[in-house]
Amino acid sequence: MNLKIENLSLFGKTKHIEGMIDDLMDCISNGAMKFEAGVETYLNGSDPNRCDDTVHQIRDLEVEGNRLRRAIEGQLYTDMLIPDSRGDVLSLLEDINYLLGLAEDIFLAITVENPQIGDEYREEFRLLTSTSVKSIEEVVLSARAFFRNITAVRDHLGKVSFHEEEADQIAVRLKRRIFSSDLKLENKMHLRYFVDKLDRLADEAEDVGDWLAIYTIKRSL
Amino acid sequence: MEITILIFLTSGLFLGWSLGANDAANVFGTAVASRMIQFTTAAIICTVFLILGAVISGAGAAHGLGALGKLNALPGAFMAAFSAALTVYWMTKAGLPVSTTQAIVGAIIGWNLFSGSITDTSALSKIFATWVACPILGAIFGALIYKAVMLILSRSRIHLLRLDGYTRLGLILAGAFGSYSLGANNIGNVMGVFISSHPFSDFSIGNLFTITAIQQLFLLGAIAIGVGVFTYSKRVMMTVGDGIMPLTPVGAWVVVIAHSIVLFLFSSIELEHFLASNGLPTIPLIPVSSSQAVVGAVIGIGLLKGGKGIRWRVLGNIASGWVTTPIIASVVCFVMLFILQNVFNQVVYHEVRYVLSGSVLDHLEKSGIAVAELEPVKDREIVGGTHFRDAILEVKPTLTRELEDKILDVAEIYPLSIDPGKIREIEPGYLSAGQIEAVKALSGLTYDHTWQLYDALSGSSIDWKKREKSKLNKPFNKHLDEQLKYVYELFHQAEGGSMNR
Repeated sequence: MNLKIENLSLFGKTKHIEGMIDDLMDCISNGAMKFEAGVETYLNGSDPNRCDDTVHQIRDLEVEGNRLRRAIEGQLYTDMLIPDSRGDVLSLLEDINYLLGLAEDIFLAITVENPQIGDEYREEFRLLTSTSVKSIEEVVLSARAFFRNITAVRDHLGKVSFHEEEADQIAVRLKRRIFSSDLKLENKMHLRYFVDKLDRLADEAEDVGDWLAIYTIKRSL
Repeated sequence: MEITILIFLTSGLFLGWSLGANDAANVFGTAVASRMIQFTTAAIICTVFLILGAVISGAGAAHGLGALGKLNALPGAFMAAFSAALTVYWMTKAGLPVSTTQAIVGAIIGWNLFSGSITDTSALSKIFATWVACPILGAIFGALIYKAVMLILSRSRIHLLRLDGYTRLGLILAGAFGSYSLGANNIGNVMGVFISSHPFSDFSIGNLFTITAIQQLFLLGAIAIGVGVFTYSKRVMMTVGDGIMPLTPVGAWVVVIAHSIVLFLFSSIELEHFLASNGLPTIPLIPVSSSQAVVGAVIGIGLLKGGKGIRWRVLGNIASGWVTTPIIASVVCFVMLFILQNVFNQVVYHEVRYVLSGSVLDHLEKSGIAVAELEPVKDREIVGGTHFRDAILEVKPTLTRELEDKILDVAEIYPLSIDPGKIREIEPGYLSAGQIEAVKALSGLTYDHTWQLYDALSGSSIDWKKREKSKLNKPFNKHLDEQLKYVYELFHQAEGGSMNR
């Protein structure tokens, strides 16, 4: 019944897609928070089952994100909506959903490979994770702004770059400490692998932000 | 009903087709080119509203006729319509938006040259003014509205998709209104000439409503315009909406709105009357054309964005199309009239005769014109406007253009006979009861000049009297002029009897 009323109203379809875009953004930011919480659980050495639950939760969010993205894509094309920025919007949604997929991959790798992170590195791993997650959250905010308040996009994108640089610095610092320690080489390389993976999350977020900056310029022309 | 009438009718249909193919771009070009509305959707909306406009509002104003109504022989009008249509077709083929009215005026100038009639210089100056003033006004309004809309949008935080919906709705509404007025304003040019010679008759559907013969004629013309929209308008649409400069959907809407506002502000006598009657300053009325206003609005937005996106070469082509349209139409018309007259033995114009009789000179003197110098031409019947003008200029070389026009108007012989049979043909809804009574009082009388009938009518009824020239009285006088024209044409004693125009 609800659906029928939506379709009958003048902008029912538009409202429905707007809702789906918001839901997709919610999925990404929820997933990012789940990812951060999951890493925290792992670093605290809690019950491995809780980590598995988190993997499932992130995966569910990613699946939902993909479903929403495809639905939005289909509606935008079949209803010929936003012809001039349709391509940009779809790329943006794809890119942003990819961030969640990447977070899921990283967390799955952590639970599968079970890297041995010593107490002296845990704080910086936490910091690296939260900085990367912040960059994702800012990208989500800038994407939301792209739809509703284009002038605010630039502010959020500035923060994305800031967090990405922070993440880079933390990663370098962490890697220096790891490689100057007495750990075995295989341990060092294993930790380096995860530092790079966490840092990559921020890099990818920045890449999405760079494209978003271009879409924004195109829209304001 | 002769077969020739049907052949002549095809020229009107061809003109309608060309008009649809070219002018639909003014209302839906930017919407289609910015991919906001599919071409088929735009064509359907455009056609439906065109037909409604032509049949509902066009037929109501049928007495005003179109510019082609000035031509006094049907074969000549046919050829003028055909020449204008051919010119617009060529321009459409080249993807250039042109003014159909200017093509028609060009063709009429060709007819004037051929028939030795005088071309109204104001018609020419109007065309020149339109080329310059209209794009400039379009550009100014386009830029201002775009700036304002962007400012509002940046503050209103409308969702991208919602904005898309609003813009689409705005484009459809503006396009529908535009199509309605396109049909209402242009059907006179397309079919007006055939009002007195069409083969239709009124018919009623189950006592519910009647479709008048004129409505049927205009429906036919509107269908021709619609076919033009469907079959051939996409190319011009793409030039307007994408060729000059790619437009965003909001830009597309701004262009349509800016062009409508320019047309409304600078050509609406109703608005002028409204402002004047409320003691407000009026906006000067200038000749405006849709095609020129739309192109101007696109340029305005382009310049606002720094002018980098504008393709000046396309713009150059469009401007050259504007200049060549009336020229080509007049040349084609002249040549075609020659062929029609000499190869097909058709009467392409009826000679107009002029005489400075005693009564004409008296009338001129009363209106304050010194007539002493015109005595040598007195009572000489001269055929053709140009010959008559040359004759009066010979004896009075210092005549101003205005006086010259006035003398030509008064001296033109236009035999009128107030035939009681024709009085019964008067449409009661179009003339007031007082006006009809005044006409009836003159039953059986004849006149040589239109002003004589006007004097007689205005002398017997206040309803026929023109008011003092002022902005406030303009709509009244304009309507009265149309009514007078209707009466003159109704009681005109045509030479040869086949034409009454």
